[in-house]
Amino acid sequence: MTAGTDNPVDLDDAPGSPEAPRGATTNGTGGTPDAADPRKLLIGVVGMVVVGWLMLNAPLAFAFYPDWFGDNKIVISVLALVAGLGGAYFLFFFLNMLVEGLPGRLSRGLMPYIYLLPAYGLIGLMLLYPTVQTINYSFANADATEYVGLENYREVLGSSQFHSAILNNVLWLIIVPAVTVAFGTVVAVLADKLSTRGEKIAKSTIFLPMAISFVGASTIWLLVYQYDPPNEDPTGLLNAIWRGLGGDPQTWLQNSGLRLNSILMMVILIWLQVGFAMTLLSSAIKGVPEDTLEAARIDGASEFQIFFRVVVPQIKGTMITVFITVVILVLKVFDIVYVLTDGRDKTQVIANLFFTELFRNSQSGRASAIVVILLIAVTPVLIYQVRHFRREEQGR
Amino acid sequence: MAHSRKRRLGAAVGLAVIAVVGLSGCLQDPNASGGGAGGTAGFADNSSTDGDGKVTILGAYGGDEKANFEKALEKFEDESGIDIEYTEDSDFTTTIKTRVAAGDAPDIGFFPQPGGLLELARAGDIQPIDTFLDVGQLDRTLVPGLLDSVRLTGDPGGDGEVSGAGRLYGAPMRLANKSLIWYPKQAWDAAGYQVPKTLDELYSLSDKIKQSGITPWCMAWNADQATGWVGTDWIEQMVLTLNGVDVYNQWTSHEIPFNDPQVQAAFDEFGKIAKTDGEVYGGVQTVVNTQVADSMKPAFAQGGPQCMLERQGSFEISFLPAEVQADLDNQVGVFPFPSAEASAEAPPILGGADLAALFNGNDEDAIEVMRFLTSDKFGAEWAQAGGWLSPHKTFDQSNYPNQVTKDIATAATTASGVVFDGSDVMPKEVGSGTFWTGMVSWIQGESTQQTTDAIEASWPQ
Repeated sequence: MTAGTDNPVDLDDAPGSPEAPRGATTNGTGGTPDAADPRKLLIGVVGMVVVGWLMLNAPLAFAFYPDWFGDNKIVISVLALVAGLGGAYFLFFFLNMLVEGLPGRLSRGLMPYIYLLPAYGLIGLMLLYPTVQTINYSFANADATEYVGLENYREVLGSSQFHSAILNNVLWLIIVPAVTVAFGTVVAVLADKLSTRGEKIAKSTIFLPMAISFVGASTIWLLVYQYDPPNEDPTGLLNAIWRGLGGDPQTWLQNSGLRLNSILMMVILIWLQVGFAMTLLSSAIKGVPEDTLEAARIDGASEFQIFFRVVVPQIKGTMITVFITVVILVLKVFDIVYVLTDGRDKTQVIANLFFTELFRNSQSGRASAIVVILLIAVTPVLIYQVRHFRREEQGR
Repeated sequence: MAHSRKRRLGAAVGLAVIAVVGLSGCLQDPNASGGGAGGTAGFADNSSTDGDGKVTILGAYGGDEKANFEKALEKFEDESGIDIEYTEDSDFTTTIKTRVAAGDAPDIGFFPQPGGLLELARAGDIQPIDTFLDVGQLDRTLVPGLLDSVRLTGDPGGDGEVSGAGRLYGAPMRLANKSLIWYPKQAWDAAGYQVPKTLDELYSLSDKIKQSGITPWCMAWNADQATGWVGTDWIEQMVLTLNGVDVYNQWTSHEIPFNDPQVQAAFDEFGKIAKTDGEVYGGVQTVVNTQVADSMKPAFAQGGPQCMLERQGSFEISFLPAEVQADLDNQVGVFPFPSAEASAEAPPILGGADLAALFNGNDEDAIEVMRFLTSDKFGAEWAQAGGWLSPHKTFDQSNYPNQVTKDIATAATTASGVVFDGSDVMPKEVGSGTFWTGMVSWIQGESTQQTTDAIEASWPQ
């Protein structure tokens, strides 16, 4: 294939597909570097305009004139699929041609960005734009029609609900990641001592809850904590046990003494996450070189000393990774609280407070302010995680 | 140099072509014909074609209710040749605002409460009903108080005239009655209890029930994220019963504060039932932990009723155990919530109505549909299917499927007035927020003063 600028290029010679921009490379290496190809430019522009016009109008045609397509939903969906995928293909095809038509150096410099553009565009649209807009709205009123300065932050930071939510989130942060990592480590170590078969069964059983969605798990535990009056049979597992031991039925989820209800909800998250912690830590433990353990044993160290002085330092990196992952999860905890108590009886957490403000009270300003505060709280953890990850990578 | 200028020109032309094609080359909606509020000649107008025999309706009914509603329209559609297209949206209150703002209003909308309707009427998006309905005739057949709820008042903020103030903007097409007390009929008849007419008689009845060894009241509040709404209905009932329609409306529209002594008296009155030992089945913890739909299960327990009375709206029928529903008239009785003092007049009821509003004031077809929907001729099929009450006193009662429904309808149509469920009328932060959660805290021991103060403080400024 000759795609040099001295030989005018046929349409047939144009690059075959966006995945293989052959034209770009040959153009760069073989052609004179600094001359534009007006034909390619023209075809590229016209092609993009035509394809773009068709892509814009296809959905409108589907919506406004369904009778053109026989009023058939299946036909329309297939056509929509074809128009979307084919459109994207041809848009790139012509874009590629357009860039190839540019002078050589410019073309080479631009080409990678052209292909990165959709990914960056999506990140910008789905992640950066909402973030910026949320920060923007956090300074605006309930329906984002007027700026109110710091009013939202003043209201949020001054509300007792928010204080209670912060306290609970801190409790969740202190308890859940630590307990999850501890349990995960213990299970991983103990399972390691079992036979191969026993280890598999034990690990699978503990990993099983990971497969349940948060809402599903919360509903299951709602039944565990169920309360029935003393004259009726207990249907909640915990109360059945409690009454079996001779106690009176308890309303577990209303009992905020020592934040018992919050702790009972943390149990759910721990139950869900121990499997995750165990899997990662187990592979880390298996990666600990056998000779270090042997050396310790020869030196007369006890099993406890071996675990804390030899194994733990070698799996510390994984433990921190698991810990941070659970920390971020806990900061976002919502489903469990929403399903079990919806923040009643002093169990409010930040994410649920946000949901209430946005969807129940239609206070988008205050809701945005809460999210921005949450974002600020998560950022240091994220930075630490990235740094930690980089250190780990360097250490390898 | 000339070369680069030509290239730049080419680029400019290219961009211009893209812009022109992009901006003007799009297909247009063939059904669009202008739009926006006001319209010519003083009509509220939407963007749908007038007089094409097609009328669009947006409402919140789905499932069985939607099917029954459509069944009630069939005959009318056949006779008039008008095709009615009903769209359901469970989030009606939000959707209607969005669609009106986008110039895409339906021809007719069914509002579950007057607040949203009057908001759009104030903006000039709704056609006043006096231009196409006989308001005098309506007023004679409707339950009193209903039409007043759709009268546009002057600007509550006080800045500037409101055009159309004093006129009516919607008409009820469905009635709800929440001022009802339910009881298990077999046990009630066996004990020979009488229907109480006043609160004092109600209290002496509950004392009698207590002496017979049964807890008087069935009560259940748990509705997951909506826990507490049953309590708000109770408070609304008490405010209405103790203070009457005017104070009730002042309270729900925040003309008097939430912690007004009259409202606090209603809390304390309800406290005599809810917060007194032995009055409520299972005590406070059972109330908060039992699902609303299960409230009357103990009343139909195997070994005889364990509670006798339940205050709940007409939808309680659908909560009853299946075997009770199958034998409804023999198993269940219902009576209106008693008034504070003995009176010849039936007390006003808590409930409300679904209000039909017209967005397309110059479409003869839509007007004809409105006339039908708001007349006492509408709804026979829906009434027979169950779960629907006509707001008209003149509606043929023989259409209701059972005695229980007839009793509920009679209680509603003979009432001296109707007020809308207060928690629906109040701002969302209160009505489905702090009022709900406040009731849960209150029944678990918080004082009336604390609860009402907290709710008042949460009222948006």
